[in-house]
Amino acid sequence: MPAFSSEERQLLHDSATEYFADRYGPERALALTRDDGPDGFGRAEWKSYAELGWLGLMLPEDAGGSEGGLTEAAILFAAAGAELAAEPLIPCLVLGAGAVTGLGTEAQQAALEGVAEGEKILGFLHYEPGSGFARDHVETIARPTADGYALTGDKAFSAGAHAADLLVVSARIGGPDGPVGLFLVPGDAGGLHRVPAPALDGRRGAAATLDGVAVSADALLGGTTDDRLAAIDRLLDRAALAVCADMLGAMTKASEITTDYLKTREQFGQKLSSFQVLQHRLVDMRICCEESRAAIHAALTAQDENAPDAAIAAWRAKAETARAARFVGGQGVQLHGGMGMTDDLGIGHYYKRLSVNEALFGDAAWHIDRLAAREDARAAQPAAPEMAGA
Amino acid sequence: MFINAAAPRDPNLEKFRMEVREFCQTEIGPEMRRILDLGQHLPKDMHDGWLKALGRKGWLTGHWAKEHGGLGWTPEESAIFRDETDGAAAPWLAPFGVTMVGPVIYTFGTPEQKARHLPGIRKNDVWWCQGYSEPGSGSDLASLKTRAVRDGDDYVVNGQKIWTTLAHWADWIFCLVRTDPDAPKKQQGISFLLIDMKTPGITVRPLITLDLGHHLNEVFFEDVRVPAENLIGEENKGWDYAKFLLAHERVGVAEIGKFGRYLAQLRKLLGETREGGRPLSEDPGFRRRLAELEMNLSTLKAMHADALAQGTPGLISAAALKIRGSELQQAILQTMTDVLGRHGLAYQADALMAGWNGELVGPEESAGILAEHLHRRAATIYGGSSEIQRNIIAKGALGL
Repeated sequence: MPAFSSEERQLLHDSATEYFADRYGPERALALTRDDGPDGFGRAEWKSYAELGWLGLMLPEDAGGSEGGLTEAAILFAAAGAELAAEPLIPCLVLGAGAVTGLGTEAQQAALEGVAEGEKILGFLHYEPGSGFARDHVETIARPTADGYALTGDKAFSAGAHAADLLVVSARIGGPDGPVGLFLVPGDAGGLHRVPAPALDGRRGAAATLDGVAVSADALLGGTTDDRLAAIDRLLDRAALAVCADMLGAMTKASEITTDYLKTREQFGQKLSSFQVLQHRLVDMRICCEESRAAIHAALTAQDENAPDAAIAAWRAKAETARAARFVGGQGVQLHGGMGMTDDLGIGHYYKRLSVNEALFGDAAWHIDRLAAREDARAAQPAAPEMAGA
Repeated sequence: MFINAAAPRDPNLEKFRMEVREFCQTEIGPEMRRILDLGQHLPKDMHDGWLKALGRKGWLTGHWAKEHGGLGWTPEESAIFRDETDGAAAPWLAPFGVTMVGPVIYTFGTPEQKARHLPGIRKNDVWWCQGYSEPGSGSDLASLKTRAVRDGDDYVVNGQKIWTTLAHWADWIFCLVRTDPDAPKKQQGISFLLIDMKTPGITVRPLITLDLGHHLNEVFFEDVRVPAENLIGEENKGWDYAKFLLAHERVGVAEIGKFGRYLAQLRKLLGETREGGRPLSEDPGFRRRLAELEMNLSTLKAMHADALAQGTPGLISAAALKIRGSELQQAILQTMTDVLGRHGLAYQADALMAGWNGELVGPEESAGILAEHLHRRAATIYGGSSEIQRNIIAKGALGL
């Protein structure tokens, strides 16, 4: 690792950017997300991603993947975000497949069959109505039965969960104080009730209620009852970083669209782009993109090199990028004036995408609180080396 | 003066406050209450019923002078009325008749125009909308192109208006139209026309906004014949009347009374949303933000009261109120959205239809709050954008 050279990464970027620019964009995203069918995304697109090898980017070779790192996947997510692709790439590849790859036994790796080929979509249900962004609050219980477990509890709205063929679900084993395990739950399992809904930006997901969902003993990832909270935390850090890449693509594009618009729109007999106050606003938007790009790059490198400060870098990247996204998205609408408020124009859809992404897996304030808590730990133990987080 | 010299408040005003509060409680029935609390789309007949009830009390135009059929409220009384109706989350007091075209008609209109239009506005028998902005004329309103050409006893109107709130409900529209394209200054060739929306040649097309709601429209005029008697004041003097009206619009636009209601909603949401099992109301970050928002609102209210105490608020304080009011509105709604981020920002726009009985994801108020958040991204754009308001202060107050 990493399996990809710089040239290969460039090639991936070029082909992904070209694909999404040609085949996607706000109009396509709208048509898909507003479709009356149950998906809200493109099955044909998903198939194309498989054919292009993108769904297997991070998967092991045995599962038909190319063993890339999060950096390779992020190149794809950024290109997808730039054109508002609606497919559940991050929940499936980073969370669902990431959990199986990282924690599953050898036999459980079979759950990955069909993912690279686009025949199976994985999902992830962890957050709950009572958890907020906290990652260690799990009330769902996995009660041991004669031949496995029965899962009962409520899970909060989770992107992509509506369409998942197989879900990775967290639950406390045995009772409210038991260790947290991750379970493989088929989408059509008895007792699993999913409530599909669109998110603010139209991308769909589902909340879920589990009412004694019966799974066999080998549904428990890793096969042991070790507590998985630390592993879940790492998975969610990676997902947050993946979302940063999506945001980077979306905010860069939003920034470009707005700059182009101001170059053409005239008021008071001159182009809006000739007003200094608006020029400076566009410049600040651009600086936001550059800062985010740097923070994300640093965090991706730390992840793929398994650096001791990988978690901290991810928190910093999510906080910086979420703040940048709020400014860029908000100003994108503002500088378009009334036009920015219409459903017809792309910029508003970028605003909504960025708003959703800001919150996914913890917003800026929540991540900054995490960083502050680390300062507390440092003060308590002045001699301790840099903590790697979870 | 640095310190406002206004006298202390009149205790009798509290009686009026209680009267308005009681009226809101009794007149807003449970069905309408539920729709308003959830932020659902209020059907026109219910909205109309409420405004007519206010009209019967004379309160819809209580701020008008008695000679125009108003109650001659003082600015303080008007503020109390706004405060209480907004605080009760009463239906929107659509300003197009009562605070916009009404005052223009009683100030600049002919006796015939007053007799014809003012009673309908006072009773809400007639819904009005505002035909100002055009696709090419937003911030630069005076560049508008909709043309009105005199032909016998009529004006023939051709052109397009945009962002027209409630045009799909309106019976009449007041429009700025260009009557003299050759005037030396673009502000000089504009006239102010009242147009019946049923006139042949008018087409209304919905404009769907980010919240997926239908509040706005495009209005197209094709050879629309408007009787010349519907001209307000003098031909080519329309800009003067528009400026008069814009000052009214800016003060009203901030809707400050609503903000207290938002904050109550935020407090409820913080109490009901848990993080790590604990209510978010215990989170130091949100406590601090809530306290800051309360502080900002209290300052804004004080600014508003000071502006009202001066009689007609000057252009400067109106602009400052619009800037700060719209910013605060967005800040409160953003904070609520940040809370809803804990629920994954699911947005069930269908739930905004009264009587929706689908399966809910997240708190029942989410759709209403998120719709308001998206809708109010326009608060810093409509009624003169924040950039334009700053220009007004730069020119008017700082002489730049």
